[in-house]
Amino acid sequence: MNAKLWWAQIRAVIRLEMKKTFLARRGLWIYVLALLPLLMFILQAIVVTHQRENSDQIVTQGQKKLTSEDLHAVHPGMTTDEVVALLGKPPLHFQHHQRRHFNTGDGAAIPDVVIPHETYRYSDGFSTMQLDFEDGKVASITIGEGFSLPQESVVFAGVFQFFYLRLAIFFGCLGIFMNLFRGEILDKSLHFYFLAPIRRDVLMAGKFLAGLLATCIIFVTSELLQLMVFTWQFSPNARDIYLYQNHGLAQGAAYLGVTALACLGYGAFFLAAGMLFRNPIMPAAAILIWEAVNPFLPALLKKFSVIYYLKSLCPVDIPTPPGTPPLLALLVSNPDPVSTPVAVLGIVFVALLILYLSSFQVRRMEINYTTE
Amino acid sequence: MASGITANDRIVFEDVSKFYGEILGVNRVNLSIPPGVTSLVGPNGSGKTTLMNLMTGLVRPSRGRIRVLGLDPTEPEKLFKVLGYSTQFDSFPKGLSGFQFVYSYLRLAGSDAQTAEQLAWSAIQRVNLTEAAHRNVAGYSKGMRQRIRLAQALCHNPKVLVLDEPMNGLDPLARAEMIALFRAAAADGCYVIISSHILHEVDALSDQVILLSNGYVVAEGTIHSVRDEIREHPAQILIRCDRPRDLASKMMESEYTIEVRIHNDEHGLLIKTKDADRFYLAMNHLALNGVEIESVAPADDDVNSVYEYLIGSDEVPR
Repeated sequence: MNAKLWWAQIRAVIRLEMKKTFLARRGLWIYVLALLPLLMFILQAIVVTHQRENSDQIVTQGQKKLTSEDLHAVHPGMTTDEVVALLGKPPLHFQHHQRRHFNTGDGAAIPDVVIPHETYRYSDGFSTMQLDFEDGKVASITIGEGFSLPQESVVFAGVFQFFYLRLAIFFGCLGIFMNLFRGEILDKSLHFYFLAPIRRDVLMAGKFLAGLLATCIIFVTSELLQLMVFTWQFSPNARDIYLYQNHGLAQGAAYLGVTALACLGYGAFFLAAGMLFRNPIMPAAAILIWEAVNPFLPALLKKFSVIYYLKSLCPVDIPTPPGTPPLLALLVSNPDPVSTPVAVLGIVFVALLILYLSSFQVRRMEINYTTE
Repeated sequence: MASGITANDRIVFEDVSKFYGEILGVNRVNLSIPPGVTSLVGPNGSGKTTLMNLMTGLVRPSRGRIRVLGLDPTEPEKLFKVLGYSTQFDSFPKGLSGFQFVYSYLRLAGSDAQTAEQLAWSAIQRVNLTEAAHRNVAGYSKGMRQRIRLAQALCHNPKVLVLDEPMNGLDPLARAEMIALFRAAAADGCYVIISSHILHEVDALSDQVILLSNGYVVAEGTIHSVRDEIREHPAQILIRCDRPRDLASKMMESEYTIEVRIHNDEHGLLIKTKDADRFYLAMNHLALNGVEIESVAPADDDVNSVYEYLIGSDEVPR
């Protein structure tokens, strides 16, 4: 009977909170944070699509089907004939003349010399090569490597781990969860809830679930759109290989799951902070530092953070090339990852522990707006 | 005073103190409030709102215990099933209409949609706000906001109504309607606790008063009994008659009469007595020599006088 009543009350709290959370003017910056990586991937998609279309056009117009080895066989000093013999007639070809003025130093007039310049463009369907000829010989070679899904997935992982997880979701959760109680105190409207026949801890659970639902809708949706934009910019063939043969689908699901778990973990922290602190800057800074120094903490303390578990759940490791500063390498790497079940249960446990402790605080809370 | 914390039919404060840091809210309050209309009277900062917030669990006592019909105010899930509180806080959850404000409260209480809708409309009708119910509360006048708060406090038909300055911002007609509403609730056996600055309304409304000053309860009980307790101020009785001078000489024969003044209009006497009840008895035995008495009424047996005697004329509100 009680459980049924509590669930009805929790749903009533969620209905009230969702409207406030989604339509709050002071929460607009959260949408900006959530949508910033999406915007970045949309811009990248535009660039990649344009590049791929160019490359496809060159391949279509080319005499021969080229490979990467063919392109890399060209070297400076080769003549146009040698290049044409190797790669075929260029599908794209520009030429211009450069007039050069020489000075003998004794003031005698020497006619300007006209040097012919040519530009050839080839593509193997992935990379595009531009050859600049000067006076019939290769003077410079520029190879624009195309975007490959496996390579770009590392970039995606970097954006996810270092911007989305540690900044966007972190601050987004701060904005939403801290306001669940603190915002109401500032608006002097918390008494509306405290005057209802509802247990304070049930109220807190309702508010937390409302925050979790809101952050999940905002950040998981953004992450899903990022994944879609990220994969759909590539050719259908590359996309299918990535999604179905290179665990792309599993990685996508992992990103969505990590996003939801991050909202759960950070949400619990910030809900508690919103009840304990008047000024959100101090707890936010403390939690941010705590999460940042996690790699340097003793093993036991590491477990009382969210990022410790989230890092283990991230599907793509970010490589640390030789020469990476040790501190940065430590931040990037995950020297002692935990298994997926342990990581998931770890975050759930940390969140529940914080919520349990917060339930004592919410029962002690008083309405005293004048001191706020 | 407090008759024991087991009294499940009373609102009981047992040696309750509340301090906000160094600042005193209320101190050593012992009360046992029966059904009916009880008014909390006192100047600003006397502790009226603190007392209300304490009995509704919005603040916790620094010391002492409170029980509302046997319920602990720290258990809102039980307390607010029997109690409705119309606060002085003039802010509302954002974006709600008057109807949604009351309806959401009922849904929070666990009512299903249909019941909540019925109860919400019923409460809104009781406070005469039906036409404006679908307007956003943010656009309401002060009086309308007051009424929608009352509707929220009333909507679940509570046994205890706690109303902090409930008639602020209401026009005279609405005030009269509210007084009738509170009296009807009290007649039904409800506990109506009201704080008010308007003493003549308190007089018209209250079954008992609690006078507060600087965080202390200075008197409690019916106005008459409180007045009787104030020994240092003689009771004043106004007698309207046709021959006040003759009557005055007779009245001075009573051992309980302290002072007699002829009224300016020469049609009455103002008598000061140290014991009003005995004076009335004695008056019956005096030969009045054919003086025609039109009326006999206490002149200072009201909240205003009691307030003035106990708290001081400097702070008499209105």
